[in-house]
Amino acid sequence: MDNSIIIRKMNKYYGRKQALYDIDLTIEKGMFGLLGRNGAGKTTLMKTLAAIHKKKNGKITVCGVPIEKEREIRAMTGYLPQDFSMYPNMRTDEALDYLGALSGIPKDVRKKRVDSLLRKVNLQEHRRKKVKQLSGGMKRRLGIAQALIHDPKVLIVDEPTAGLDPEERIRFRNLLCEVAEDRIVILSTHIVADIEASCEQVAIMDSGRILWHGTVSQLLANARGHIYCANVEKRFIDQIKREYIVTGILTQNEYTTVRLVSEAEPDLPNTVLTDPDLEDAYMYCLHSCGCELKGGEE
Amino acid sequence: MASGCLAKVVFSDAKHNFIIHYLAAIGLLLVSPVVFGFSGLDERLAAIPLEMLAPILGIILMTPVFMPEQNESIYDVVRSKKISHTLVCLLRILLSAVIIALLVGGLSLHMYHSGSQVTARVFASALISALTLGALGTFASALGDSSIIGYMVSASYFVLNMLLHNKLKKFDLFTFTDGGTKVNLWLAAAAAILVFAALLWRKIRK
Amino acid sequence: MLFKKECKKILLSLTFWIYCILVVIMFAENYYSEAKYPIGKPAKDGSDYGYMVREDPELIMEGASASLMSDFASNRYVCYPYGFYKAVSLDKEDRDKVEEYVTEITAWDHDEILKQIDSAEVYYMEHGFSTFPGYKFESVNIDKNMTYERYKEIMADIDDILGGGSAYKVETLASRYSLVPMTYDDAVREYEDSITEDTVTGSLARLFSDYTGISLALTPVFAAAALTAADRRRGMTELVYSRNISSLKLTFIRYGALVAMMFIPVFLTMIAAAIQAGEVYGDEPLKMHYMFTTTTFWLLPELMAVTAVGMFLTEFFSAGVAVAAQGSWAFLSLMSGGDELSGNITKFCLICRHNTLYGRSEFMATYNDFVFNRIFYIVLALVLVLAASYIYHLKRGGRFNGIRLFGKGGLFRRKA
Repeated sequence: MDNSIIIRKMNKYYGRKQALYDIDLTIEKGMFGLLGRNGAGKTTLMKTLAAIHKKKNGKITVCGVPIEKEREIRAMTGYLPQDFSMYPNMRTDEALDYLGALSGIPKDVRKKRVDSLLRKVNLQEHRRKKVKQLSGGMKRRLGIAQALIHDPKVLIVDEPTAGLDPEERIRFRNLLCEVAEDRIVILSTHIVADIEASCEQVAIMDSGRILWHGTVSQLLANARGHIYCANVEKRFIDQIKREYIVTGILTQNEYTTVRLVSEAEPDLPNTVLTDPDLEDAYMYCLHSCGCELKGGEE
Repeated sequence: MASGCLAKVVFSDAKHNFIIHYLAAIGLLLVSPVVFGFSGLDERLAAIPLEMLAPILGIILMTPVFMPEQNESIYDVVRSKKISHTLVCLLRILLSAVIIALLVGGLSLHMYHSGSQVTARVFASALISALTLGALGTFASALGDSSIIGYMVSASYFVLNMLLHNKLKKFDLFTFTDGGTKVNLWLAAAAAILVFAALLWRKIRK
Repeated sequence: MLFKKECKKILLSLTFWIYCILVVIMFAENYYSEAKYPIGKPAKDGSDYGYMVREDPELIMEGASASLMSDFASNRYVCYPYGFYKAVSLDKEDRDKVEEYVTEITAWDHDEILKQIDSAEVYYMEHGFSTFPGYKFESVNIDKNMTYERYKEIMADIDDILGGGSAYKVETLASRYSLVPMTYDDAVREYEDSITEDTVTGSLARLFSDYTGISLALTPVFAAAALTAADRRRGMTELVYSRNISSLKLTFIRYGALVAMMFIPVFLTMIAAAIQAGEVYGDEPLKMHYMFTTTTFWLLPELMAVTAVGMFLTEFFSAGVAVAAQGSWAFLSLMSGGDELSGNITKFCLICRHNTLYGRSEFMATYNDFVFNRIFYIVLALVLVLAASYIYHLKRGGRFNGIRLFGKGGLFRRKA
């Protein structure tokens, strides 16, 4: 059986407003990163893949099943929304059990799954706490547990690391990599470091369109030769921001090191060509696809 | 298998999301003797407390069926599951209807034993009024995406009934109180249509 | 300006628009259709001009005592505590108390009372599945020393024993036992009063306020609760908490915006009513200002109080509690008047009713209570808003988190 998600010429509207334009994408097993700024259409695309939103036209198949067969799709996808929450009065294990029941898992299986998942996401000792007593990170871990409760072939997680502390974020990423070994995991984020650490394949979205997709190394290769570092006086920074896409500013005494994206070598003192990191590559990609960028800020 | 899961879902719902509403409904019946007399009433007088209290039970128990998912992200989570959310909501509505029937039935029995002439048709009429007003609340809360709106519309319709009575013709909730002699099937039809419309609207909204 | 912004927020909320629709429906369905026809002068040949109340102690004591005697004999008192039928039977202890009063009123001792009951004419009433004996007493002996003042005290006490709403409620003694038929002259005087004193608009304004007052007792609480809870629902609470505006100012601006916005549809229906009055009574000299002054003084305090209750309870508990509490209050207030829809305004009733285009004298008799009542509700409203702002202030400082019925720190928290 087919083990990939195939999206062809898919359009999506909210009322009369078009939200997604001609999406064409093939997603294979493993971690797939969806990168884009806020409002780029990542959440809409993910909700459409989780059969929560309906597409207008085009074709989507998930592991060979057309997206219109909602029940089947839901039985094989797990979804973790951007700000996951659950009935606040339920206990952690009860909430997981409830959502397992909604996934149609029989009672005895459910009990075992709840136990093992709570252990896996490190919530074993908090299982009797009410959902509203959990911290942000714990709640997110409960979220991933509920998305995995029916052992889905596809896991869709929407900005799972936003708002987590660094330790919690790394733990969460590792957890995702672990579960991605034998399934498709689609991860949307605007935090580039998450993609860098975990994804092989990546797609960049903007204004409801897929701008670019390929591997992380391709993305980096594209930007090579366009990222520069320059040492300038502080007072020039505003001017540089206006003329170039600045991806980093480091101030030391009266001099400042500026990291910037430029097609040709910039006309600045002490300029050196540097290797791009993924953040630079992402900015370069947005720039080369004609998106309007503000220096250093989204 | 599936039925076991559904039972679990409905039970959990009742326990965590709706217990306060059940308690409120029982509380209402417990304090009602302050306002109403239940003993020694003829059929028409017996209809008054029944047709007055039952619709309030309808408002309390049926309006909040969509309340737990008022939080959009909870709604997304439950919608992404295999068992359809519409089905879960339908079951909640049915459970509420059963509880309303039990409560109204209990009150009717109590009145009957206190020497009041509670007939089957008065009981049926009160129950139908309860379901209709509850269904109106359900529908309004689906449409407005907020339980407060559901309560607002259903409670206001109740007040309108208290003022206009017969002027509402087929949609008068106080059938026997206002001198009717037949169970009003128009109300029953309205209840079914409103529930259906509410569920349909929730389903196609996005 | 913040006030304007709050108004705009209300304008964009669904509860506000539903509120507007309800105000308009109540106006159109009730008042507008009823005020369509002009009040006519009473016709001379007509024999029935209705009744009017005249407080005659002798008539009252005679009627009420006979009624008390027959109720006491059958130990079955029909009451309407909240406008609903309720048959009360007293236990031994209360029965003895009532008997003492009967003795005091009639100067009959225990044996004499029993003798009177035995000799009374008995008839049987069917009710539900039971049949009750009834005793007929046309008149009973009244102790010569019984004063009307003392009599009223006794009646008040008996009404208390019966749980209120009985046939012995002091406020309704006169209207129950001391009605005299209106003569043609009385009817004409009443009509002329409504033309010269009220210039019709006075009566119309009372009827308008009566109907609109019913919707204002309930519907504003929804908008108030929804908007007060909106911050929390949208996760905005902390954002607003951290601004430097004072809690007092913020609460009062929001309250002011709610009251102002919700008064707009009421005001618009006032204009509609005034236009209608102008059309129906085009030939009469009308004091049009009544359509605005009386109604505003009647309705605004109620709107203010209900909105304040909504804000306060939502801040203190939750939106659900506010709606349930105001719902019960409105229901009880609406029903407690029972069948009397006019002449019944007391110092503390939330809904002041006067459901007739007539009865000016009746209204004027309770006018002082009415004025007190409305001022009381204005003060109550302001106190509640002040309290709401104080709670907001406490919550903002993290010293108080509101009382939730369930959940963390909840009153009914179940043991985990």
